[in-house]
Amino acid sequence: MSDPSRDDERELVEHAKRDPRQFGTLYDRHFQQIYRFVYSRVREQTAAEDVTSEVFMKALKAMPRYQDTGRPFAAWLYQIAVNAIADRYRSLRTAQPLDDFHDLSVAGPALEDLAAHRDEVRRVWALVEALPHQQRTALVLKFQEDMKIEDIAVAMAKSPGAVKLLIHRGVTKLREAADTLRPVE
Amino acid sequence: MNSYHDPELDDVLQDEEVRRIASVLSSVRMPEPPLDEAFRTGLRRQLMNEAWAMTEGRTSWWRRAFAPPGLAWAGAAAGLLLITSVVVFYALQRPGGFSTTIVATSPLDGNRSVALEQPILVAFNQPMDHPSTEHAVQITPATNVTFGWRANTLSVQPTGGTLAPNTQYQVTIGPGAKTASGKPLSTPQTITFVTKTPTTPTATPTPRPTPASALGEKQVAGLGGATRLSAQWSSDSSSVYYIDGHGALNVVPARGGAVTTIAPDGASSPALSPTGDRLAYIRAGKVEVLTFASGKTEELSLRPAPTLVGWAQDRIIWAAVDGFYTQADDGSGHQVAALPATGSITVLSIAPDGGHAIYRQGQNLFILDFAGGKSAQLGPPGAAFETWSPGGSQLIYSTVDKVVVSDTQGVTQSTLPAGDAAWSSQDAILIGGDTDIFQTRPDGTNLGRIASGTFHSPLWAPNGSAFAFVRGGALWTATAPALPPEPTSLDEASAVIDNFMKARLAGQSDQAGAYLDANGKAAYASGGPRLVITGDPSFTRYYVLTAEITGSQPDTARFVVRLVLSHGKLDVSDQEEILTLVRDVTSKQFMIDQAAAGAHRDLGKGAEVVSIDVQADTVRVTFDSDLNPATVTDGVTVLDAKGKRLEATASYANRVVTVSGLNLKQGDSYRLAVLTSLLDVSGQNVAAEYDLDFVGPTIKKHPNHKEDVTASPSPSPSPSPTPA
Repeated sequence: MSDPSRDDERELVEHAKRDPRQFGTLYDRHFQQIYRFVYSRVREQTAAEDVTSEVFMKALKAMPRYQDTGRPFAAWLYQIAVNAIADRYRSLRTAQPLDDFHDLSVAGPALEDLAAHRDEVRRVWALVEALPHQQRTALVLKFQEDMKIEDIAVAMAKSPGAVKLLIHRGVTKLREAADTLRPVE
Repeated sequence: MNSYHDPELDDVLQDEEVRRIASVLSSVRMPEPPLDEAFRTGLRRQLMNEAWAMTEGRTSWWRRAFAPPGLAWAGAAAGLLLITSVVVFYALQRPGGFSTTIVATSPLDGNRSVALEQPILVAFNQPMDHPSTEHAVQITPATNVTFGWRANTLSVQPTGGTLAPNTQYQVTIGPGAKTASGKPLSTPQTITFVTKTPTTPTATPTPRPTPASALGEKQVAGLGGATRLSAQWSSDSSSVYYIDGHGALNVVPARGGAVTTIAPDGASSPALSPTGDRLAYIRAGKVEVLTFASGKTEELSLRPAPTLVGWAQDRIIWAAVDGFYTQADDGSGHQVAALPATGSITVLSIAPDGGHAIYRQGQNLFILDFAGGKSAQLGPPGAAFETWSPGGSQLIYSTVDKVVVSDTQGVTQSTLPAGDAAWSSQDAILIGGDTDIFQTRPDGTNLGRIASGTFHSPLWAPNGSAFAFVRGGALWTATAPALPPEPTSLDEASAVIDNFMKARLAGQSDQAGAYLDANGKAAYASGGPRLVITGDPSFTRYYVLTAEITGSQPDTARFVVRLVLSHGKLDVSDQEEILTLVRDVTSKQFMIDQAAAGAHRDLGKGAEVVSIDVQADTVRVTFDSDLNPATVTDGVTVLDAKGKRLEATASYANRVVTVSGLNLKQGDSYRLAVLTSLLDVSGQNVAAEYDLDFVGPTIKKHPNHKEDVTASPSPSPSPSPTPA
């Protein structure tokens, strides 16, 4: 059956295609998630602002040509963001400690050995940072942004199978690199 | 240990260790990154400028003028037509005809509801010399601006970022403007428009990543055969404590991840303490209390033996076969209320405030008041308890064909569709079932289906956004969309003011009179303000300068409304009215009870106050003009009822003077005074002192709220399962 939130989004997108001044509503709806995703990749506020500006400006200008493929509008924004980050990535390197970024209180208040768990999470995400760019992007979109494989495929301009392969390779590499990791419990 | 499970990745994450690492990856919650709000709004403004420019490029000016949104542009179109007609006429009277005449148009001209973020766009029919044209722009009220060009369109943007609210602007392109070829503008051209009243920002849910399904549903754990949810959320809404079909008490992160077992079997009746730091549950006939900070479990041997446990503030309260008990100082059980001695009795739930309990006697459902010891029946035989309101002053039970919201005396407050119900800290109710889930307010308003699918035993998280539910024998979590905020008393009073003023604006005295009570009618009939204003200058628009709730029982609101009088299309003066509204005890509607005429002022003589926001510690005064900051401290003051100036700090930014460091007392009288020493950026002083009386603010409260809703742990769970 039809999904009311998707219908609502389709209507907003159609309005914005016809009249770019209606783009503001889409911006309001998606700004936070795109900014957060961009920030998660560039780790620096000014750079995140630059890239986010670029993403939405490109999206606005391309709005009249936007084609609804049945995937969420956000997947398209992510696609622009992924490309914009890739353009910039060579000059930006992670400098911020992971603790500053990942909230490591994950499993309820003090019910398990949080110190060990935090350590594991920190190490796993540090390993993610060392993965090839596309594997890293796929893992972030899947595990942090909670996106469906098909939406990640749109965002990364790949087939769903290729995305799954990237995730599989990424996680497998993490497993190989994390021999010393121990179960939480 | 549980590992990651996602049907989408089942085929590629087959190895247990790989799934465990996926679980670690998905267990990390990303905090919101640092965000400069000025960046967000600045980017939006930039995008809107670009959008306007794109529209310019796509359509000719006359198509734009007549394009959707239609009615809103009708005024602008009329203005454009008028200007253009004059210019065409003027041009055709001169040698050289139209092609040599400079035409300036703007979609804003004549518009009386311009958004504050809107840049002032002026389109010329030929290339212009930028410096001379910018220099020739004059704006009233006095406003600092920046200029931008795109092709032949000039964009004028206030440096403060937005236009002033409730303000008539006149933008004149003076004769100093020249074309790129050096031809001067022969006749000044003026654009006139009026800005909107700013809308009060409403709470919006934090945007989240696009969910995999409508509500981002995620299976987080199996329930081992349990079909109803006996669970509690952690106070930070990050994890769910639940009892599975084997009686094990487990905890799982709400986003999915490793399941941790707290008690392996025999557990029932989990109850989170009101402060969220402890979890009590029954196991092997004893109450165990887990303290999160230490991770230690304390075992309480309570007598008589507990069948259900809950909390009364910081103390354990438990049900036993003959009544409800708390622990006396010596450790013994102190009975707070007795259960009936006859019949087969099952206690189902203790209210989150520890003041009532629900029990079943045979087929009948009862609520027991601990204070009076009396019981009241809930619904017909066979009714089932669903949940408490967050504060425990109301509850929900269900019958075969409906869900009933009841007070603690068993009196029905509203009736909702049938299903499993949950009541959030934000006063939203979920009703789930086999095929759908609905969301509604407790009074049945805003009822709407939010998703299709199986949603049994919904249980809200304390954050009022996430919820847990049962589907296919497993525990799932999801996120519900936020309901529109409930109208406050001030919203209701504002609606009355709006309808009243619109009727007056239309000259409909009968309709306007419908909003007046006997006192209000007398006020307009006895030589005070006029109900219908006729003549020239004419009454053309109004706006609310300040609005406050000044009392309760009955709810009372005070508004200062400004009526703007115009001659032709120019606003020339305004007249204030001070209106007091009182909620009628019978109809529950606000009526205008008092009306008094306030200041009458001629416009265009220095900075004008266009909006005032009063808080206990701060008064924010918005002007229509950019001000000379050096004159603000002495020019804007707050006085008490004796006329004594209050100690405070005045600061200034973007046309807003913020008087802070105040300690305004609820209901006390104060006066805002804007003195003639206040100058705008052009050096013009305020022509005459402006005074506005107001009262110290009171707490804004919804009239239908029977309790102050605070973010507290969710109410005690639905009927607890029989211990395994």
